[in-house]
Amino acid sequence: MADLLNEIKAQIAGAKMTAAKQNIGVIREVGDGVAKIEGLSDAMLNEMIDLGNGVTGLALNLDETEVGVVVLGDYTQLKEGGEARTTGKLLQVPVGKGLLGRVVNLLGEPIDGKGPIKSDKTYPVEKTAPGIIRRRSVSQPVQTGIMPIDAMIPIGRGQRELIIGDRGTGKTTICIDTIISQARLNKAAELAGDKDYRLLYCIYVAIGQKQSTIARVISVLEQAGAMPYTIVVASPASDSAANQYLVPFAGAAMGEWFMDNGMDALIVYDDLSKQAVAYRQVSLLLKRPSGREAYPGDVFYLHSRLLERAARVGEKYGNGSLTALPIIETQSGDVSAYIPTNVISITDGQIFLETDLFHQGVRPAINVGISVSRVGSAAQLKAVKQVAGQLKGDLAQFRELAAFAQFGSDLDEKTQAQIDRGKRIMEIFKQRQYNPIPVEIQVVVIWAAQNGYLDQVPVARVKEFQNKLTEYFTTRKGQLLAKIGREKELNDELKAELKAAAEEFKQTWK
Amino acid sequence: MKITKKAKREAKRLYRFCLLNGLLDENRARQIVRRVVATGERDCLPILTHFLRLVKLDCAQHTATVESATLLPTDLQAVVQTELARRYGLGLTTAFARRPELIGGMRIQVGCDVYDGSVRAGLEALNKSF
Repeated sequence: MADLLNEIKAQIAGAKMTAAKQNIGVIREVGDGVAKIEGLSDAMLNEMIDLGNGVTGLALNLDETEVGVVVLGDYTQLKEGGEARTTGKLLQVPVGKGLLGRVVNLLGEPIDGKGPIKSDKTYPVEKTAPGIIRRRSVSQPVQTGIMPIDAMIPIGRGQRELIIGDRGTGKTTICIDTIISQARLNKAAELAGDKDYRLLYCIYVAIGQKQSTIARVISVLEQAGAMPYTIVVASPASDSAANQYLVPFAGAAMGEWFMDNGMDALIVYDDLSKQAVAYRQVSLLLKRPSGREAYPGDVFYLHSRLLERAARVGEKYGNGSLTALPIIETQSGDVSAYIPTNVISITDGQIFLETDLFHQGVRPAINVGISVSRVGSAAQLKAVKQVAGQLKGDLAQFRELAAFAQFGSDLDEKTQAQIDRGKRIMEIFKQRQYNPIPVEIQVVVIWAAQNGYLDQVPVARVKEFQNKLTEYFTTRKGQLLAKIGREKELNDELKAELKAAAEEFKQTWK
Repeated sequence: MKITKKAKREAKRLYRFCLLNGLLDENRARQIVRRVVATGERDCLPILTHFLRLVKLDCAQHTATVESATLLPTDLQAVVQTELARRYGLGLTTAFARRPELIGGMRIQVGCDVYDGSVRAGLEALNKSF
């Protein structure tokens, strides 16, 4: 006992109490989610500031005598004269596979009521994008399961493809379809024990959306069984502007973890127009000078630094990738507005959705003429490229001829045939929502269309023909489909088999 | 009262006039305030309000407040004063105060910098860690 007492006494005598230096400030002004703090002379840009009462802020404006802070919690709990202190930490979020299947907020805290998140790693929300040396060009496809996209506007892993259109044209649907398609492919590869297939994890970032819309998206993903491969990061419309502006960066950090660890991920930003509006609000409250459409001068940098984080890194750095699908909502189809032009110039292509096409029943309402993928063709499957190589040109020609034919003049046989072919292709590109089509089926259908098997089918029955053809190949020619999927290229032997199968089907079609 | 950017700029210029070897010269500050008031210009009130703020901040930066549960003995006060002068340079005014709620230890504040070695701060940190 005496030994123990002496030991404790020695420990106490040897203990050194240190008083760590802290940097503090006084809240001088607070309101609308923004606080002005006098002092905090050591604050860093984007540093988390402890504002007391469990409320945290982010230092965004560093002036000579005061610091402008956006409040990330409930700002009504703050009082003028309250003490604020620096934390020495940047805003961080948990990362890792523990987040899959979960719905989280900006700080990575669960909001789905499924208990705490199992993650022991964090990433800073703001991170520099991979440099030139680390990157390699896009070479692997992202199979969206949406036929016009996979055939004409292919997306590669590591690409940034903008989805742009007016409200209610199906922008979110395209992204949800893509997520569902990835989940199906991942599941199939896991079941088949295919080790060559690289699983593609998905992150859906909801920015400034209605809670009901987010709930609907989650329920669709759950019904399709896509949640085990998906993280939903949400900052609904009821969140503060600061949260809405920061949430895409939090999602990007979660995606970067997959990329840095040699895995592939896809991130959907739904949508960046709302993020720009939230950033404008924060900037105006911080009294930053405003520019065009009252957006701050660095709104381009806001989007460029976010989208630059999507990349395909080289073998030496893990061979991972982060593909980004940002969404932009236009007003009355105006793609020349400030934010749309900014994001168009940053991304590697855009998928333009049109209200008119949507109301004509062309769904997905993709305007093939002005939609483009600048790097994706390098990643497109050879089989798809073989059958769909001419499609974009054919459709563009069809559009032109169809507009001309409206005048009612007599058309020569060749022109009429081109128009008829175009109409049929338009029909096969119509697709139900949340119903991605496997790439092998896409190859078969487009091959059939290109080889004249649809020419005798009335336009009104093309969809029926397509469905029956799909059913026939799935039920009776499973091996042929598997062969196409395996070889990823249509050689002469496969073409002959396809022809024989199509002829066989034609006999049964009435 | 709205303090315009122009008024802020002017106040800062006046504040710079008051600095002598990096330290605020009280006589100059008094003289400047008197002169500005005497001109009776429309802008003088916002200028002087901002000037007052800058002087306040300067004072806070050059004032060390040493708080402890009981007043420190003179020899310890001298040690603290010397150590602070070594760290923050000359021109630092040190004020000692008694604050029983600290329970024990010492809390020193110089401008925005705080060195809190009080028992109360230790307990708060412990509470947070739970």
